[in-house]
Amino acid sequence: MPDSILVKGLTRYYNGFLALDNLSLRVKWNEDVALLGPNGAGKTTALKILCGLIRPSKGTAYLAGINVMEERERAISQVGAILETPEFYPFLTPNETLRYLGRLRGMSERELDDRIMEVLKLIRLEDWVNVKIEKFSRGMKQRLALAQALLHDPPILILDEPSLGLDPRGMVEIRNILKEARKKKTVFFASHLLTEVEQICKKVAIIDRGKLRAYDDIARLKKKYRSFERAYLKLTEGSI
Amino acid sequence: MSEFEKLKVVTKYELLKQIRRKRFYGALALTVLAVVLTIGLYKGLNLPEKMQQNIPVTMRISDSADLFAVFVTSMGSLAVFSAVFFAGDTIASEFERKTGYILFPNPVNRITIVVGKYLACFIATATIILVAYMISAGALLVFYGQIPGGIVGSLGLALMLSCTVISLAFIFSSVLKGGMGATIATLLTYMVIFSVISMSLSYAGYDPWFMPDRAGDAMAATYGVSFGDVSGGMMGGGQMMAGMLRASQNPTLSFFVLLGYAIALLGVSIWVTKRREMI
Repeated sequence: MPDSILVKGLTRYYNGFLALDNLSLRVKWNEDVALLGPNGAGKTTALKILCGLIRPSKGTAYLAGINVMEERERAISQVGAILETPEFYPFLTPNETLRYLGRLRGMSERELDDRIMEVLKLIRLEDWVNVKIEKFSRGMKQRLALAQALLHDPPILILDEPSLGLDPRGMVEIRNILKEARKKKTVFFASHLLTEVEQICKKVAIIDRGKLRAYDDIARLKKKYRSFERAYLKLTEGSI
Repeated sequence: MSEFEKLKVVTKYELLKQIRRKRFYGALALTVLAVVLTIGLYKGLNLPEKMQQNIPVTMRISDSADLFAVFVTSMGSLAVFSAVFFAGDTIASEFERKTGYILFPNPVNRITIVVGKYLACFIATATIILVAYMISAGALLVFYGQIPGGIVGSLGLALMLSCTVISLAFIFSSVLKGGMGATIATLLTYMVIFSVISMSLSYAGYDPWFMPDRAGDAMAATYGVSFGDVSGGMMGGGQMMAGMLRASQNPTLSFFVLLGYAIALLGVSIWVTKRREMI
């Protein structure tokens, strides 16, 4: 069985600036891995390459054994993603937005009737199902972003700062949803919040200035550096 | 799910986005106003007679359904503005407003997304144009008791012109960062750059039949009455402007010229959008 996510020597330059430097890692099925690093470390760049939004300067990425660069659509069908701070079409409602995305992911109208309410209940937006998104707060949009990522029940979740913009209650709720999701899915998410990473994941990939500094169990890193925080600070030394 | 099914889905929801925007209803209201004003001014100012007062009586063209239709259905600018309104920010906004982070990570080809957006823009623009033509057709029935057959050709050319302008707008929308920039660039290109080229060619004695703006003007040539013949009296000597070549447009040729531009420009915008990264 192929790995859930396989990244081989990913390198990406932005106009001569090295954003990602030969990143390689492997995520097994139903593993939950956090991509941790300071601002500008290359986390979002890595996730964007995995979702086929940008191309690497070098290297390859596979999702469920499918090469993202060569078979983007087929690879991406395995994934539910939140990238950057997602924005939605302001004139559409959550129902219409999720129906649009669900149909593109091959779901039938009948399937969507039930599933849309299910995911909206999960993220507690069921009362807003037919309200135009232009009226939504930042946190509500973030919840909706998670709903669309979970909509087609994908085996892999790729999430970039999933709790960004949420209030403390929202953060707890999202973390609980992700804890539940990781029982059946691969959760690969980027964050710079140590507490969040510790709560959701067992394994962490720490990157800094585009380079992979460590890829290990959090428990092992804690043991080696005496605390997770010390491990992070030590491995990202020199960063702003 | 086939790409064709996905194309239908993209078109449906992109169209829903278009008709939920205030600009759709604004464009519709302005269209109704423009057509009603044109009809009112044509009749109220007795334009056929006033425009031909410098032409010898024997050479004048009398008011008819065809002449009226030339005035009320020759709305190239309406087709252009409507197309630019809907198409200018269609692709650029996915990058500018970051909605592409939701749309692009889906198992759908970028070609399908661009073509779906194109069809949605075309349907929205065609709705505006059809409303204008329906009002004009109603006025023709009221005042002349008939609708000239040339209206079909005129409508066809108006729709094809809108396709060309949408394709042009898609190129700018796929290249530029902002929707507003793409809208302005499209209008400037069509209304200034193309016009300058067409006019220069005319002054040099060449018929610019291959220019999109010139081909678009052919929507007034489907009735067998030339606007130039009527307005010539105002210019003097039957010239459009001193020294300019006056060539009559061939509606069929113009249609295919516009079709060629529409396909070629859309092809370029698809190529660019496919390569554009969501940085």
